[in-house]
Amino acid sequence: MKLSYFASASALCLGLALSFSATSAAEAAANCIKGDRKAPYTIGWANIYSVPTWMKQTQGTLEAQIEDLKKQGLVDKLVITDAQGDANVQIQQIQSMIDSDVDAIILIAGSSTAPARVLADACAKGIAIINFDSLVDTDQVTAKVNTDSAQWGEQAAKFLVEQMGGKGNILVLNGPAGVSVSDDRRKGATPVLEANPNVKILAETNTAYNVAPAQEAVTSLLFANPEIDGILSLGGALSAGAVLALDKQGRTQVPITGENARQFLELWKEKDLKGWATMQPNWLGAFATWLSVQALEGKDVPAFVKIPLPVIDNANIGDYLARAADFPADGYIYSPYDQALFEKILAGK
Amino acid sequence: MSVVPSNSGQRTGRLYWSVQAGRNVGVRGLFLVVLAFIVAYGFLFPGLFTMAGFAKFTQSWFPLALVAMAQALLMLTGGISLAIGATVSLGAVIAATTMVGPLGVAGGSALVAATGLGIGAITGFIVVKLRLPAIVVTLAGSFIIGGAALLILPRPGGAMPEWLSDLLAGNTPAAFLLLVVVVLLWKLYLATPLGLSLYAAGENPVGAYRSGVPVDAARIAAYALSGLLSTGAGLFVAAQTGSGDPVIGAAFTLNSIAAAVLGGIGFLGGQGTMRGALAGSLLLSLMISVMFFLGFTPVAQYVAQGLIIIGAVALPQFRKVQR
Repeated sequence: MKLSYFASASALCLGLALSFSATSAAEAAANCIKGDRKAPYTIGWANIYSVPTWMKQTQGTLEAQIEDLKKQGLVDKLVITDAQGDANVQIQQIQSMIDSDVDAIILIAGSSTAPARVLADACAKGIAIINFDSLVDTDQVTAKVNTDSAQWGEQAAKFLVEQMGGKGNILVLNGPAGVSVSDDRRKGATPVLEANPNVKILAETNTAYNVAPAQEAVTSLLFANPEIDGILSLGGALSAGAVLALDKQGRTQVPITGENARQFLELWKEKDLKGWATMQPNWLGAFATWLSVQALEGKDVPAFVKIPLPVIDNANIGDYLARAADFPADGYIYSPYDQALFEKILAGK
Repeated sequence: MSVVPSNSGQRTGRLYWSVQAGRNVGVRGLFLVVLAFIVAYGFLFPGLFTMAGFAKFTQSWFPLALVAMAQALLMLTGGISLAIGATVSLGAVIAATTMVGPLGVAGGSALVAATGLGIGAITGFIVVKLRLPAIVVTLAGSFIIGGAALLILPRPGGAMPEWLSDLLAGNTPAAFLLLVVVVLLWKLYLATPLGLSLYAAGENPVGAYRSGVPVDAARIAAYALSGLLSTGAGLFVAAQTGSGDPVIGAAFTLNSIAAAVLGGIGFLGGQGTMRGALAGSLLLSLMISVMFFLGFTPVAQYVAQGLIIIGAVALPQFRKVQR
């Protein structure tokens, strides 16, 4: 027992010494970075749930980025954990990453609050933490990376209103109620819809982001509403469900918004829709990994990196579909990316 | 049947220990597996044996240990609860919304405890007095309790006093000491009339009733205590995370059952020991960390976890068959 007291006391002294030296060197470096970690780095990827296709594709870009960084001699090891949806397990896994002294933690959080304390511990140890997609309410990370959900909804609503000439009846398809992404996209659309009182919302749905429930919900709404001029769909697979529902009833297709789900993009081309789509790009995984190494290498990294939304419209849909074969049938066709794009994003341009 | 320590002489003392050893027979294999995992963990991560390392690990284990006890308590009386996860969540959101307010830590803790006892007692009353199946009552209960947690805190938020978080989930083994206290209290409870009735009510309720054992009271008390342990686990999770999340407890329902069954607690009541359930929960928690340090990929972890669980449960059975 004495030994452990001694060990923790000496660890405390070391910590104090480190924090003193850090305050002098911290001027230029990113948050949590103390400058005592040297390449090649060990990267920890703390996933919350690895099963959905979006997650698999995201992990794919992350692993490709790691291979690239390995070739450059910047990374030598990737450790992956999967909390299977359990935020408590994720905390324990992050703790294990701290215990095994990884140099960076890449995180999609299972709870927006629960990991805050364990992340503060990691940050205090000089571990670079890049949190993307599902964010944690804390500033004890190196950087958070995400697209802007409100902007997502706003741009979608603007496209639809424009296509309809500022008047007509629409359906609004939302993701699940009480989920922040779903709420925020809807909130972003609200001011645009309010500014165009001639666009009338006939009905709104809340379903999981899957084809089947959306198709079912839209089918019953079609029976009740003979006049529909547009569909404001705020999630990829929802749009495919809506298009299929219209098709099954022999109704003419209407302008529609959505996300980059391969099924939706293929229907879009097949039915020659007037469409608009954006995405939560899967290369966020690659970007977060790249960013963690930039931070460890002493580059200045802002606390929040906003990823501009890539837009798919009738002008460039062909480019996306030309690459469709490279993506899973139930997956997402993300925009192309390279290191030049990452550097541009980091420079804030 | 539980034997209670008594101070009436060495003979009874020896009898106590030999009976206790006899009760370990079914879980010896599990104890060995747990020991092997602790050794492996310590070998892979020597920092486990520093105070901070030990503190952090026991903090990860503590809430699971409490819900394993909560579930084992019910299963010993022949009951079960599918509402444990929701009750943990409710405990967490109550703690995170009251403790920094006017109620303070004392008031918040009291409210968390009263809620747990109250929910448990009501559930127990419905199950025992109305003779309804526990699995249905607690499934319905999980929706009500989970809904209540979402009403109190629709989105993750709230706050916990910083000093409480640091005290319970800082770099000291406070959580482990707390667990020791809970286990001692459990031993004490087994010495009370209600505690003594617990095993009897589970193993042979009719026989126990005819012998004058307060079967209904013992079972309702078990539900109430189980609720208390669950909201207590919620309070700890809130302290550990520094906030409340209305769905944080979801996974505890299944894990509590897994830990109890792994620990040799039977579904039919009266079978098994609390130390078994605790060892089961410890194994579940150890596995997560050990797999990480072994560098298993997530997919390999699923397979390995399944094999270890089956192995730990099957070990004593093999020996029984051989005999």
